[in-house]
Amino acid sequence: MPTLANMSLQFGSDVSSLLNIVWLLSFFVFIVYGQRIQVYIVGNDISRALNRLKLMKDKSRKEAVDYFLSTGKTSADPAVKIDEFLEYVTIMPVDLDPQGIVGKIEHITETRDDRVRSEVKKMLPNAEPIKVSVAENILEIASSLNMIHKIVRHYYLLGKKTNSYILLVQLQMIMPQVLMEADALINAVDTFKLGQPVGDGIGPIIASKYMVNLPKQVVAKDTVMSVTEYKGRTLYVLKAEGPMGYVGEPGLAIQRVIEEMNVPLNAIIMVDAALKLEGEKTGDVAEGIGAAIGGIGTDKFRIEEVSAKHKVPVYAILVKQSILEAITVMRKDITDASDRVHTLIANLIEEKTKEGDKVLLAGIGNSLGVGQ
Amino acid sequence: MSTAPAPQPPQQQTQQGKAKFNVYTIEECPACGQKTKRSFQVGDYITKDGANCSKCGNVTKITLIYAEPVVKSK
Repeated sequence: MPTLANMSLQFGSDVSSLLNIVWLLSFFVFIVYGQRIQVYIVGNDISRALNRLKLMKDKSRKEAVDYFLSTGKTSADPAVKIDEFLEYVTIMPVDLDPQGIVGKIEHITETRDDRVRSEVKKMLPNAEPIKVSVAENILEIASSLNMIHKIVRHYYLLGKKTNSYILLVQLQMIMPQVLMEADALINAVDTFKLGQPVGDGIGPIIASKYMVNLPKQVVAKDTVMSVTEYKGRTLYVLKAEGPMGYVGEPGLAIQRVIEEMNVPLNAIIMVDAALKLEGEKTGDVAEGIGAAIGGIGTDKFRIEEVSAKHKVPVYAILVKQSILEAITVMRKDITDASDRVHTLIANLIEEKTKEGDKVLLAGIGNSLGVGQ
Repeated sequence: MSTAPAPQPPQQQTQQGKAKFNVYTIEECPACGQKTKRSFQVGDYITKDGANCSKCGNVTKITLIYAEPVVKSK
């Protein structure tokens, strides 16, 4: 007959055997199904992020529809047309033979922009130019969010369909950055609706100071220029036409000033917003050489081509900011950099040119809420 | 910056991410340099004519529009 002590010993060894079996089983489960479990966990993580992107995409679409309804004051439902816009694709030219590709890209993007503007004008026939430009910007935001959502969803579903752990993990790793950019876009909608200057508008703000009360001439699409005098130099100041939310065509404008208006420029100074690196302070100002302009690259190409051909030095002044700050309402930290930028412009003009020289100052960026 | 008192319409708060901002318009008198800070109103833009200067009566111009974070009162 077993004693009480023996019974407890037997019971104890049973529990540890059971634990051993569970441990061995879980070991085999993880060996065999480990990747599937990880796919499930990563998939859930991406699914949550995808839901957030969907909410943002739907919100931006709704904001676009509401804006068209309130501005157009029409009984017709703009939703169908807006949905068409969101699915609108731009097919980039083939790059197998890159010779002359910049001209092709420029032609395609110009055609797209003209088409979007004419369609928006049709939907808002009696709206002021500023409202048309705001509508264009809101549509562009909604279209970007729609595209981000579609691409993330594509890779998420593809990863799940093929049980590709690597694909899903890569997607999971870039999701925080994707969400950050999407957040910036959705936050920008309110700023655009109210017509407030955005952080990217620091270049036009600086340029506008030199243009107040001067005659303006249109030198390229949505781009205006004034001519003034600064310490014995002729100063050509250009910016996108405000207060509309335009970025203009500064590349073409500078080319026309040099080659069509035959102005023998001695220096080009470009002021633009630049994305700061993590750890850098908003509103920090950096000086440099080269064409300070973002975008698809066509304007930059033109400026580099024409300045190299005519041996005109190009000086850059950059105001640092994050992507969120660049497309949402102008922060005080950024406007506080204005004084420093004006000092740098004055120094550059005085040190790099002499009296009688001709200098072009270009304020690059979105001119929303910035007149001239 | 010299700031003259101006009638303040209800402040428009704007939210960006987790932060809340008040947006202000700065009107500057080209004659005497007097600067006035007021809340942003829809239709404001930089270089637009503002109200008459409270000091010399000249027409002011909007020179800046910017956002400042809302300071929480304790």
